[in-house]
Amino acid sequence: MSVKTAAWTIEVKLKADLADAEGQSALSLLQGLGVLTTRACRATRLYELRCGLNAAQLQQVARELLCDPITQDFRVVPGGARPPVLNGMTHWRVEVWPKGSVADPAGETVRSAIAEMGLPQPERVRVGTAYLISGRCGRGQLEKAVVRGLANPVVHDAAVTESHP
Amino acid sequence: MIAEIQPLEDLESACRRHSWSLNAQELAAVRRHFKALRRAPTRAELESIAQTWSEHCKHKTFTGPIRFSDGKKTERIANLFDRTIAKATRELARPWCLSSFKDNAGVVAFGKKKGRWAVAFKVETHNHPCAIEPYGGAETGVGGVVRDVLGVGLGAKPVLNTDVFCFAAPDFDGPLPEGALHPKRTLRSVVAGVRDYGNRLGIPTAAGGLCFDPGYRLNPLVFVGTVGLLPTWALKKEVKAGDLIVAAGGRTGRDGLHGATFSSAGLSADSPASAVQIGHPLNEKKLLDALLAARDKRLYRAVTDCGAGGFSSAVGEMAEGRGARVRLENAKLKASDLKPWEIWLSESQERMVLAVPPKNLKALSEVFAAEDCELSVLGEFTSTGRLVVTHEGQAVVDLDLKFLHHGLPRVEKTAVWTAPKPQAVKVEQVKRSPAEILKFCLSHLNVCSREWIIRQYDHEVQAGTVIKPLQGVRHDGPGDACVIWPHAATGEMKDFSAFAVSHGLNPAYGRLDPYRMALACVDEALRNLICVGADVEHAVLLDNFCWASPDDPRQLGALVRAAQGCHDAAKGFGTPFISGKDSLYNQSKDANGKDAAIPGTLLISALAPVADARRALTMDIKGPGNALYLVGCTGEELGGSLLAQACDLPGGCAPKVDPKTAASAFKAVAAAIAKGLVLSAHDLSEGGLAVAAAEMSFSGEFGAAIDLDMVAKAGPIYSNEVLLFCESQSRLLLEVKPEKEAALLKALKGVVVKRVGVTMANPILKVIGLDGLVCLEEPLCALKAAWQGTLPRLLS
Repeated sequence: MSVKTAAWTIEVKLKADLADAEGQSALSLLQGLGVLTTRACRATRLYELRCGLNAAQLQQVARELLCDPITQDFRVVPGGARPPVLNGMTHWRVEVWPKGSVADPAGETVRSAIAEMGLPQPERVRVGTAYLISGRCGRGQLEKAVVRGLANPVVHDAAVTESHP
Repeated sequence: MIAEIQPLEDLESACRRHSWSLNAQELAAVRRHFKALRRAPTRAELESIAQTWSEHCKHKTFTGPIRFSDGKKTERIANLFDRTIAKATRELARPWCLSSFKDNAGVVAFGKKKGRWAVAFKVETHNHPCAIEPYGGAETGVGGVVRDVLGVGLGAKPVLNTDVFCFAAPDFDGPLPEGALHPKRTLRSVVAGVRDYGNRLGIPTAAGGLCFDPGYRLNPLVFVGTVGLLPTWALKKEVKAGDLIVAAGGRTGRDGLHGATFSSAGLSADSPASAVQIGHPLNEKKLLDALLAARDKRLYRAVTDCGAGGFSSAVGEMAEGRGARVRLENAKLKASDLKPWEIWLSESQERMVLAVPPKNLKALSEVFAAEDCELSVLGEFTSTGRLVVTHEGQAVVDLDLKFLHHGLPRVEKTAVWTAPKPQAVKVEQVKRSPAEILKFCLSHLNVCSREWIIRQYDHEVQAGTVIKPLQGVRHDGPGDACVIWPHAATGEMKDFSAFAVSHGLNPAYGRLDPYRMALACVDEALRNLICVGADVEHAVLLDNFCWASPDDPRQLGALVRAAQGCHDAAKGFGTPFISGKDSLYNQSKDANGKDAAIPGTLLISALAPVADARRALTMDIKGPGNALYLVGCTGEELGGSLLAQACDLPGGCAPKVDPKTAASAFKAVAAAIAKGLVLSAHDLSEGGLAVAAAEMSFSGEFGAAIDLDMVAKAGPIYSNEVLLFCESQSRLLLEVKPEKEAALLKALKGVVVKRVGVTMANPILKVIGLDGLVCLEEPLCALKAAWQGTLPRLLS
């Protein structure tokens, strides 16, 4: 019997009360690139899985493999689902993914590790990063800064969306 | 049947379309060859020829004929490499050099037990990939040079990584063309790439350097090096007909196509993004462990890495003088839709090719399976003299190996060198105070603390880093060289034999005179080795030339001068070169569409044994009341110096080196250090005596008082600033206990050495000028703050 595969994204981020060096570094980069109105930035690791895992198995992967329960929180999001959009241009979500044509060693490692947990091996795993940015700024201004500081268009796809924090 | 026929008349346009970087004469040679065969070449054949004949693989400029004009004199140099660098090594014929310029890395004997261990050292560049995707480029640069060392002999265990970078300043605010990355971005990403790859492989990154110059704004230079240990029995490799061609490690994908040809041309906005690879350090670690385990069981006869050109280069090189038959359908692939030529040419990372006797295949498979590392049998080596590649029964490549390796037409290039007119520097124009100049020098990007970078690297893994990159009482002062005790590779805990690694690089001198730059770089690299207690008499050198287009006669003229400098330095110091690499065409179109070339850059890397790691030296002052001795003469040599920059003094000559005098002084100082007569030693380089004294003082947290009247002068010098900041070469500052001064002077008989000062408990740097008055008095904390503040301010 063939197993039906679906896309899921597991988001792993530092607990809100912990300092986020990666987010802070991204914030200072953006500010250095002229987006001075950004106030805060938190980084989230994104794992996009195309797999036949059920909800319980996805929770297990997130809990036992991808997340450090002492310092991090996670959530499992069905593929395609995006956070609700808020108007007002004060919260932005920047997603940076390796392009499909570029090797993703971290994704390959996670894919092998899931199989080593005794679970069905996903067809594909990609690892990206989301930056949740607070601050009033224009989309164009942010997009320009993102490709100059957080993503390299040669190997990355970057998307900027207005989002709920 | 030959697949994928390429009409001959399309060669030129195909060459442009596929970034093959072949010139008209080379294309004509290809056309003639296939005309004689009465058939058209396949895409894979043309790709193989382009990769094999690329500047990257064949070093056409260094090994081709050059008509060199130096003023009124013109000479024909048949082979620049053979007439300069290789010639010096040949003539010196040092018995401890076990392999020079033959294998993937240079190899020298190592350790107390003669004939048991050898050290392999290789430094590579990964400039073009780092200009496009700095993180991936730096990662795969490290991965590539580690595999070079894994591919020397039957494989060496990496015990040290080094990295040297050249960038424009992180606060560069000039115009950049569309698509070019800002130097700050490049720097951060390159450091992250070296960090992530090296740290995950478990290899310490403990030596290196950093140089900033606006000339690198479009073409950053990234030098990565690896030192490995191997038993001497594993030095010999040979391929026999009938051996299986086994590919080991990562799978083959579409990533990294055309890397060799891409790096043999100038960068432009349409440089192929496919040339960029992303490294997979965990795969490389598995490959490394499996390969060394198989080596120790003697399961293969030869190995080489899959670098630029992928299987085409690796199999082509190993099959030279023999032959090979390859069946590409056996290769393990990342994607099933790869075309045969893509499989043949792909530069996917973390792959090695082995020559395996058929009887050993089962045992080899078991070793690799234990490390979860994949193997595939691509074919076998033959004795036909042909390289035959098929895919599912279809012929893809059928080439005469003689044509592939020796069919490259040699095109004579023109080189012109015009010696710069000596121009005196007007010292009287120095308007800033010595304290101001010293702080300028200490905070200068080419002198300041690199702690921001060094702390990101794991320099302690393998637990053999005896002298670390940051020295002093608080482990945050500068270091001249690192010392590695490679017990993790040898397993010998009672043999304290170690080695030291250092670098020399100064493009500012190269702008004035590339010949003197080469001598100065060798001098600096050797000086650095002495300062940690290495045996410089047994030192060896590596050269890495990074230059702009050799098609420009003036650029090539400067390159020839630098190569001649390397020859004279090697001969004069008695130190042979054992390995090297050139990276040419480092130029790009700037924002105005004009060609922007990098300054001609030569990195000299030096390695020398340290007889006993426990006696290695650091550069920080060890206590108060000790004497400070300055070895070497100070001349009015300000060209390319930081003093000239600080005071905007144009002109001047690059400092001169007398290798024979310097060599005898270095030998005497090294012997004095070995006898335990010296407490600390530091070389005088950028910023001269003042910077060296300041660095020693604030690292040790003891003050120093210097009397400039005591400095040995090469001629009349009446300026305190010149004596403090000039960059005359071959000078060292030594700290000596009072009771050992007499013994030191006896050991240094015949060497220019002067007692120029004392150390003191008061944490200040105090300098008495030629007029007997205090010309500089600064607290060490202020000097250290100036030295430490620059990179964090610009990068954090």
